[in-house]
Amino acid sequence: MDQFIVNIIHRPEMVPEYAEKVTGQGKAEDIGRKALLTESLDIFKTQQQIAHDNGLKTTIQMTYASLFNDEAVALAKEHHEEYGDEIALSLLGLPCEQFREKYKTKDFCIWMFSMEDKKAIVRDVFGKFYERFGFYPESTGSYYMDADLINFIKAEYPSVKCAVATCWEEGPKAYHTCNNSWYTLMDGGPWAPWIPSKQNTHAPAANEAEDSGIVAIPHLSRDLLACYDGNGSNFGTHPQNVLRGMIYDPDTWEYPYLYNLIDQYRYLAKFNNGYAYNMMFVGPGWMNKMGRWEAPYELLKKSYEDGCAYYGRLKKEGKLLDMTMSEFADFYREKKHYTEPECALWRDILYGSDKQLFWYCDPYMRACVNMDQGGAIVDLRPYAAKLEWPVGIGTKHVQDASYPFLIQEKYRAGYFTHYAGEGTVRSAKICHSGEEVDLCLCRTKAHFSEEEGVRTLTLDPVEIEFEDLTVTLQTVISFPEGTGDIKIERKVLSMSDPDAEVTINEYMVACYGTTEYPEDMTGLTLTVEAGERSESIDYAYKCREASAAGAERVSCTLPPIKTKVSMTCEGRDKTGYVREGYAFSPMFTLGYQGTLQEKEVFTTWLRLERAD
Amino acid sequence: MAQAGKGRLNYRCPSCFMRDLDIDMFYDKDKDEYFCIRCQYRGNEADVLAKNQLARFRYGAMMRRFTDFEDFSREGEKT
Repeated sequence: MDQFIVNIIHRPEMVPEYAEKVTGQGKAEDIGRKALLTESLDIFKTQQQIAHDNGLKTTIQMTYASLFNDEAVALAKEHHEEYGDEIALSLLGLPCEQFREKYKTKDFCIWMFSMEDKKAIVRDVFGKFYERFGFYPESTGSYYMDADLINFIKAEYPSVKCAVATCWEEGPKAYHTCNNSWYTLMDGGPWAPWIPSKQNTHAPAANEAEDSGIVAIPHLSRDLLACYDGNGSNFGTHPQNVLRGMIYDPDTWEYPYLYNLIDQYRYLAKFNNGYAYNMMFVGPGWMNKMGRWEAPYELLKKSYEDGCAYYGRLKKEGKLLDMTMSEFADFYREKKHYTEPECALWRDILYGSDKQLFWYCDPYMRACVNMDQGGAIVDLRPYAAKLEWPVGIGTKHVQDASYPFLIQEKYRAGYFTHYAGEGTVRSAKICHSGEEVDLCLCRTKAHFSEEEGVRTLTLDPVEIEFEDLTVTLQTVISFPEGTGDIKIERKVLSMSDPDAEVTINEYMVACYGTTEYPEDMTGLTLTVEAGERSESIDYAYKCREASAAGAERVSCTLPPIKTKVSMTCEGRDKTGYVREGYAFSPMFTLGYQGTLQEKEVFTTWLRLERAD
Repeated sequence: MAQAGKGRLNYRCPSCFMRDLDIDMFYDKDKDEYFCIRCQYRGNEADVLAKNQLARFRYGAMMRRFTDFEDFSREGEKT
């Protein structure tokens, strides 16, 4: 029977994010206002009561500020005794008078502090927690936890086994939505729980040696289509985020989308050996008595009650297991093995487009396949590199914690560009008598299967119409576990002229980066491996090409992200090629051209490796 | 004219919302209107609500209840 797990997390945040800005409009800043502190604790009590009334246990993530509040501490102890709630420790909610006085800063995101400050704050907060409770916590978290921070915490406090460690696809899109004022730049991570590697939080550990020692959970369970296209903070298992997106009927206050989102996550058990996961973590600022934007308090509260009631109903029906974070960490360690991927065949449940995506995540890559573009890979993160990427003050990346992409169709275009240049995408073109059709324009659907450690997406066949020929072609994409490879097969099922021949061009246009803006491509090396005819191009924006008939491999080495990406091929008349870009199109292309006749298959493998 | 403040509810600019920007609006009590400090939108509460409804146009399946996640025939779905 499928197992659907939920973690419900509350934090008594004595000075909620948003609250001081929102409710304090027109007043001078005062984070010690008594009314603010009282209301914050009341919201926490309300959230706890709603969960308990629905038969759900919670994880109480104490904040630094709440450790100075006797009532908050007493409540946590009481609820642990009565309901089995876990008393944990959050690294969110640092702001309070005591913190400001001690650290002389308004910074509040733990991953952005210098390593020296991270250590001091962690020791301070964990020490204060021990002082109040007499033990160290088993769970912690923030919106993001960088690898150095996790490694330090695990070394100093080995009891910690679970942490909230990223917000899925909360990067430039969320930054823009907040008028470029919300610096949670952390795209490129897993959407479901994982074991972070010691080298990079986003990249799952491939083995025990890489294991950071904790199970990470994402902050919220987010819509894998809507969040990729839009603001992450509108489309998650956070009822008030759904209100933020205005995804409800303003007259009836109904929001079936929230239940569709939970149900689609439940459905993911089908692709993950019968296991699925949800996380709901609503900060108190979202249940503000003053309301939040156009949503009055009554609607904010109702949505939280409805969310908990739905989880509660599923639990009563035997369809859900509610766990604390530490319980979940134990469950996860039992259930999953290191190289086991997380898979999600995901449909649009909001816009009515019928679009379908497939997300794949393992220790070597995160990839997104878009069935509305004929099975093109539209996002690719090379976890195989296990890129060391320190963040915070004193590093090269004070705020930017995203794992770099090779392909990102929203930030670096995809199939469509304006007039010139190319966008990042992994697709194929079929050519015949001077006509060319890109599979990106062939909308289809996929079906998932798994056999002997290989996850396979079989796409419904598409028809490619040329002026004098119709080709029925099927794409099959396979992910052999533990390899860092993606195998793509194009099969010609039939042709209107059985004796005809078409040309196929399997290509990958890529670059690297974490944002919408281009990076310096100097230093990249493109190579065609073909024995004595091998050739390399050192990237210099000169629009050069190299190719070789029968090439064994084509590749690009990207020193800035310590990644090597390559393609190999098996097919009639194969010719491998590489293309350098130019300043207006700072991309590179790897590809293979060949020919196909009826009933033939053209196969390519894409491989990701660490460059050094 | 006195300085602007916040209204009864803290409305966002509907025009900016439609381009994925959450911008709080401010309220001019003399003119009984909300205005955006980033774009050129201004309007009274009724107009804001009407425009918010307009912004929902993209959520074509907002009120649909899905019962199957791989069946694209739309059979078996509640509306």
